[in-house]
Amino acid sequence: MTICDDTQSIHRLALLRIVKLLLFFVMQGIAVILVGFVALFVSFEPVWSAENLQATITKPSEARSGSLLFKTDDGYVDATRLGVDVDLTVSGPTIRARVTQIFRNPTQDWVEATYVYPLSAGGAVDTLKMVVGDRVIVGDIKERQQAKVIYEQARAAGRKAALTEQERPDIFTNSVANIGPGETVLVQIEYQEPVHQSGDEFSLRVPLVVAPRYNPAPIVQSVDMRADNGGWGSTSSDPVPDRDRITPEVLDPALHGPVNPTSITVHLNAGFPLGEVKSPFHAVKIESPDSTTRVIRLADGQVPADRDFELTWKPAAEKAPSVGLFREHVGNADYLLAFVTPPTVEQAERKPLPREVIFVIDNSGSMGGTSITQAKASLIFGLSRLQPNDRFNVIRFDHTMDVLFPDSVSADAGHIGQATSFVNALQASGGTEMVPAMRAALTDNAHGDSNTLRQVVFLTDGEIGNEQQLFETITAMRGRSRVFMVGIGSAPNTYLMTRAAELGRGAYTHIGSVDQVEERMRGLFAKLENPAVTGLAVKFSSASADIAPAILPDLYRDEPLVLAAKLDKLQGSVEIKGRIGDRPWTVTLPLANAAEGKGLSKLWARRKISDAEVARTTRQISPDEADKAILALALQHQLVTRLTSLVAVDKTPSRPEGTPLKLTDLPLNLPAGWDFEKVFGERPQLPKPPAERRADASDLQTAMAKRPQPAIMADTVRLPKTATDAELKMIAGSILLMLSLLLSLTNRRRRLAR
Amino acid sequence: MTKARLATPILLAVAGLVLFGQGVYIHAKALLAQVLLERAFDATIATGHTTKPWSWADTWPVARIEVKRIGASAIVLAGSSGQALAFGPGHVELTPNAGERGVAVYSAHRDTHFRFLRNVAVGDEIDITRDDGKKFRYRADGSSVVRFDASGIDPLSDGYELVLSTCWPFDALTSGPYRYLLHATLIKS
Repeated sequence: MTICDDTQSIHRLALLRIVKLLLFFVMQGIAVILVGFVALFVSFEPVWSAENLQATITKPSEARSGSLLFKTDDGYVDATRLGVDVDLTVSGPTIRARVTQIFRNPTQDWVEATYVYPLSAGGAVDTLKMVVGDRVIVGDIKERQQAKVIYEQARAAGRKAALTEQERPDIFTNSVANIGPGETVLVQIEYQEPVHQSGDEFSLRVPLVVAPRYNPAPIVQSVDMRADNGGWGSTSSDPVPDRDRITPEVLDPALHGPVNPTSITVHLNAGFPLGEVKSPFHAVKIESPDSTTRVIRLADGQVPADRDFELTWKPAAEKAPSVGLFREHVGNADYLLAFVTPPTVEQAERKPLPREVIFVIDNSGSMGGTSITQAKASLIFGLSRLQPNDRFNVIRFDHTMDVLFPDSVSADAGHIGQATSFVNALQASGGTEMVPAMRAALTDNAHGDSNTLRQVVFLTDGEIGNEQQLFETITAMRGRSRVFMVGIGSAPNTYLMTRAAELGRGAYTHIGSVDQVEERMRGLFAKLENPAVTGLAVKFSSASADIAPAILPDLYRDEPLVLAAKLDKLQGSVEIKGRIGDRPWTVTLPLANAAEGKGLSKLWARRKISDAEVARTTRQISPDEADKAILALALQHQLVTRLTSLVAVDKTPSRPEGTPLKLTDLPLNLPAGWDFEKVFGERPQLPKPPAERRADASDLQTAMAKRPQPAIMADTVRLPKTATDAELKMIAGSILLMLSLLLSLTNRRRRLAR
Repeated sequence: MTKARLATPILLAVAGLVLFGQGVYIHAKALLAQVLLERAFDATIATGHTTKPWSWADTWPVARIEVKRIGASAIVLAGSSGQALAFGPGHVELTPNAGERGVAVYSAHRDTHFRFLRNVAVGDEIDITRDDGKKFRYRADGSSVVRFDASGIDPLSDGYELVLSTCWPFDALTSGPYRYLLHATLIKS
């Protein structure tokens, strides 16, 4: 027994020694980690010493998804949105959208409100109406500078005024001057948009959130960071000149959402018997008054504005109509909108050309969460679709960049496996420096090789502010490469995606959820693998036509040609010619059979403006010429553009400053023509009465009794998750360490016993 | 045999170290970020321009919370995404700024920046410095435990209030649906 005890005490001594040794190692490990972390920060430290790095926080454009900021003497106060209503009417090929938002000034001061909101990139904004208290203000189109002056004069004079400006083709700003304390503001914007068609599926999209964008810091301030990217240091201009107008605010849409209740109604008149009607991201209730009409509402009445709303519909017939022709007479001109889907030609005779596919994946911080999962799944699906004779490469980027292989490699099992594990290991963090990645992807090491197709598949959420730089890069370097943009996440920057795909002569695919990855990627690969329709030309037999787009893009499988034209007379026919793969294709449409459509002139003007913007980007016409053309079109067709704004000034003088408004200025007292039921749909979601009026709610009750009580959504703050797994990890780590200690001890004992 | 016997404890030790290191990393990040944030915040007040703590940061400092009695202090960031909360308390979206009418809500991890919350007693003074340099003093007047999706906070209420929120219970190892709220009311600006 004593001997045994002795050996045990020896063991205890040994144990102590081992514990000491292990503790030493643990401390070493911690020290290494700490030093590494400090180094990470220290190496980039000079950047933030630069002055005026970012826009000041009190800038109006710091807004999130259409949130309203109130300007007071102390800066801006964030006002809570009380309700959003989106009402869409689809008439055949076009969508007329009316977006109404209700805000309240919660302060006791007279304020100016600035409000930033997303709209669809193809949309033509032509109407602004605003009710401030009991005033209806209807906007007029003016040159941007002029509008600004009018607005500022009115503001100085104490009159109520409203201004709608375009920040990006898909981001707009409203400013409202002189809102009294406790007053409620109604903002209504209307826009026109074409229906999107792909194969036999039609769709529309309502962006509900301006996702935060990454604006690269001006080069001069961060040269030390990008010393390895040659050429970057040469320019001293800020890549995001208007950063103060679109400076992002980072937020988690899931946390942010529930306080932005949105109701959506779609009146769908497709013009043909409808089959399946689907809303992939929102639960909806669908009524079917007749076979060609549907009324779609959100099932829960309201949803948080944390993702884009999408609606798709298919015809009841097996195949969608492959031709659509619509006309509108405005002024002394006829406007025509044509949809033509080229037939699908299987390339049976010849094997498809071998391809070189460059996959680019964005693993920046904005891709965190499900976006990166979708992007990875999409890329891995893409890899699996490669043929053995194809070549490929993978590039990943955040504010840094990695190219997997020095040059494109053949798509054999080894390389695919290597790429798959590379992709699987990616994690979302860091900034979004998209331009260097696009440059790398477009760098063609085998140019002029006409026996292979070079395709760039670019997976991103596109949340950057320096779009123009990206466009210039694509224009300058595209060569024979085709750029296919894959938009990831619930609210990608659609403007960037569509324009980049257009400039890169590819196509844009959006993947909004993990479930869509396979379906959408299969669609994309059908485009990549099948011959495109090229060399498209349009000829009108007797009418002289101004066509938009002026240069017809190549079409990929299932894409329709969408053509808008302004005609002097609606006579004769239009002939469309092109080549599908290597076979010629012609179709002739008689104009007399065109159906009446609505808002086509505005769509035509919007496309002409978009054409001019592209020509400006690609330097085909001088900036001055482009601006002149855009201005003329915008003023004639009453559209908000980069150069024109809607401005409204109240003619009656405003209330004397400082006088609090009375209770009668409630949203219930809406002026004639602003029917509350219509604004908020048949199931009214009356905004909660403002706080300071709650005390006097008794007279309100009677008025409100007729309406069902609103869903209380904006009332409560959703609190974020506030626990880390640090302690859990540390405890698990300690347990493992203890286990290893025990094991090595038993080992030792056994060895000693032997 | 011996090799295998040796390999297992070494593997376990490595895994243990990695896990432990990750835990330490979270704390180290939280601590270090505060140092950088402190500098950025001072720069913000001095220049009047928002200054990002590091160039690729997705967020920026908006306020400083101090509880002088227990010597606690933290820099609050804009937004309350998981990424922001790793570095400091977050100003919950769509709640007013400190000093404004309504309820300002700041949220942080219970095991890092808001560890001190459990020590804040009713009657303690909470000082908030905003990024425009204005200072506001709040007095803690109560606490409550709520579910994250039923906080009962109306950001548009009439008073001038502040809520500090963190996960509850304080010593739990996994995250749950409950949040601890410390309510405070403006007493001096």
